[in-house]
Amino acid sequence: MPTISNPPGTRRTSTTSVPPSTTTPGERPVPGEPGRRPRRAGARRWSALLWVAPAFGMYAVFVLYPLFQSVQYSFYDWDGVGTATPAGLDNWKALVTQAELLRSVEHAFVLIVFYTVLPVGLGLVAATLIRELRPGPFNTVARVVLFVPQVLPLVAAGIAWTWMYSSDGLVNQILRAFGLGAHTRDWLGDFTFALPAVGVIGVWVMLGFCTVLMLAGIGKIDPSLYEAARLDGAGRLREFLAVTLPGLRRELVVCTTFTMIAALASFDVIQISTQGGPGYQTMVPGVEIYRLTFLQQHVGQASALAVFLAVLVLVVIWPIQRLGREK
Amino acid sequence: MRSLTHPRRAGRIAAVTAAGALLVSACAPSATSEADRPAKPVNTDIGAKPVTLTLLVTSGTDVPFFTALGKLFHAEHDNVTVKVTSQDYGALTTNIAHVLTGGNVPDLVRVPQFGNLVNNRLLTNLDPYAKVYGWDGWPQSQFASTRVAADGKQRGTGSLYGAGPGFGLTGVYYDKTLAQRIGMSRPPATVAEFEGLLAKAKDAGLQPIMINGKDGGTVYPLQNLLMDDAAKARAVQDWNFAKPGANINTPAMVSAATTLRRWAQDGYLPADVNTIDQTRAPAEFLKGKSVFFPSGNWQAPGLDKAGQGKVGFFLFPPGEAGGSSWAMTAAANLGIPAKSSHADVAAAFLDFVQTDPRARQDTVTLGGLVPAGPVNAAVPAAPAGSAVAATVTAFQSLLKSDGLVGFMADATASINVNTLLPQTQLLLSGKTSPTAFAAKVQGDYERDLGR
Repeated sequence: MPTISNPPGTRRTSTTSVPPSTTTPGERPVPGEPGRRPRRAGARRWSALLWVAPAFGMYAVFVLYPLFQSVQYSFYDWDGVGTATPAGLDNWKALVTQAELLRSVEHAFVLIVFYTVLPVGLGLVAATLIRELRPGPFNTVARVVLFVPQVLPLVAAGIAWTWMYSSDGLVNQILRAFGLGAHTRDWLGDFTFALPAVGVIGVWVMLGFCTVLMLAGIGKIDPSLYEAARLDGAGRLREFLAVTLPGLRRELVVCTTFTMIAALASFDVIQISTQGGPGYQTMVPGVEIYRLTFLQQHVGQASALAVFLAVLVLVVIWPIQRLGREK
Repeated sequence: MRSLTHPRRAGRIAAVTAAGALLVSACAPSATSEADRPAKPVNTDIGAKPVTLTLLVTSGTDVPFFTALGKLFHAEHDNVTVKVTSQDYGALTTNIAHVLTGGNVPDLVRVPQFGNLVNNRLLTNLDPYAKVYGWDGWPQSQFASTRVAADGKQRGTGSLYGAGPGFGLTGVYYDKTLAQRIGMSRPPATVAEFEGLLAKAKDAGLQPIMINGKDGGTVYPLQNLLMDDAAKARAVQDWNFAKPGANINTPAMVSAATTLRRWAQDGYLPADVNTIDQTRAPAEFLKGKSVFFPSGNWQAPGLDKAGQGKVGFFLFPPGEAGGSSWAMTAAANLGIPAKSSHADVAAAFLDFVQTDPRARQDTVTLGGLVPAGPVNAAVPAAPAGSAVAATVTAFQSLLKSDGLVGFMADATASINVNTLLPQTQLLLSGKTSPTAFAAKVQGDYERDLGR
């Protein structure tokens, strides 16, 4: 029985076999998984498995098994309580034949613009600007203000934004104050503007997260690089492109991954603010899955959509992960 | 065991083995429902042993209302203490099956949707109680929506699975002052007469109708337009109750949808109808922003409080003069969970709330509902000229004429949020046609029912 302090060789190799932050959710290494080891001492190999067992057990019970169950349910017609009847591929066919289900997936992709593209872009700008600020009260206030939305529960944020978007809410009051009364509307009830309006809530929530992460990343960049760039006569744009952006590769990958998953799997903000309306204008897979499971009790159909959504997330995230891994 | 010399591969094999084991252990998703139990003998004598009767109702006005009913029941039977617990309507809708299969089951539960509860044998069949308490001698239309057929899907026929203190009821509220201004001396006798009044209101520069299109209020006048005679009303009721072959993709539906859309186009409905919710609509109506407000009796206490005597109520008019009126109703249904150990006491409570005069009075004043019960039961009092009094009177006449029909929104668990609500919004904003609307509603309905 080896002690917890493993031979030094193990520790060294394990760091290379488990690169941080470049793993996809699908192939997350089991914590404590041993790395490559010399081919000897069979007993130790088995004991290594023993060390892995508790973590793997939890992972299997709470992640792998439910995942497997979802796949299994998707081939059944089941109400969650009674007897299940095999449904073949019906639940999967419905994903293609029911227009609303596909449309909800489309909306999720539109949300990527608001949850990912805008927050990451604006976060980069904000972080670059804040970096140039001298440490002091203004710097701190700027960070706090940007990060506060991340602290609020999404449900509270959803309700607050619903009020702001209502006919006599803050947004319309501001428009009227600037003489733009003709452009006021009930934003969440408007067929054209409901989805972008919900998206803006996403920008507001995600921006803080991205900014703080980028700030931390910029802090890690060697200041001498900036100095060298300045000495070489680089302007601010050149400096940003040549020093800041490459230095933030990892943070960018994390931000993009996190926010894209949030966009594709969005639920709370929509459920609170629009419930998918008006019409089906803001329906997203998350809300659809919730309704199928709990309201319609079509657990099979919900599982099919959920598995599809999970695969979709992996497919979208995969190239970004590859990009982050390049040296 | 050569493959095990590679630790990573060993891990992979372990994972595969574990998954395999799970695969073997888990076959089809399991059924947790219990087998048929022999019907227990029912008893109207609830004894003298101390009993705590647990109610699970929806949060909000239900809680003080049922607490008051519980106190009245306790005064009558001092060995019974009624404990009221609650869950938010949405939460109860989603949790009810699991609450009823769990270990800590209430003795009476507010049933928002029957869903598969009867199929999975989670509720007690109330037929024996209906017999011993004489409910089967009362006007039966009040029990129609809580009867479920043996297939567990069709309603309106079969055994009784729920009963409750009172009913919701829809109709049209009107602002008495504004109605006078457009020359309305009595409630309209036909839909055509009603449309004439709407046109007059429009010409007078008034908003004819205030209604909440954001959360489904616009479905009420649609259903009323659809049920302009007895045959059509029966067809809608069959549809609500999932009668085999029920179809609503009919010329009547297309014509009702066309009328409602015309009302929107002609400005009879507010321009931003799809953004008005059920809090804003009555508030705007009370401010005198519209002449009419089609809604339900649950709004009556609030409307009376804000302006006693200012608001009148009439049932949506029939298509032909002299025809009888039809209104939508929904019961505040309570069911007795199959696992309840105090079924007799629970049934006694159900009988009490339907028959006791004080309980019936509370149903009107606290619950905002109209009690039904036996044909000769005392009608609860309400201040003369109030909206509440008008709804109570209207309900009594409908109970006699069998004019109560369920809400289309209750036909399946998701027909309202997934179909009626978004489709009506599309219809009123001109983004779908009446024919496409009717076809879509029927299509989704069949899909929901698995037909």
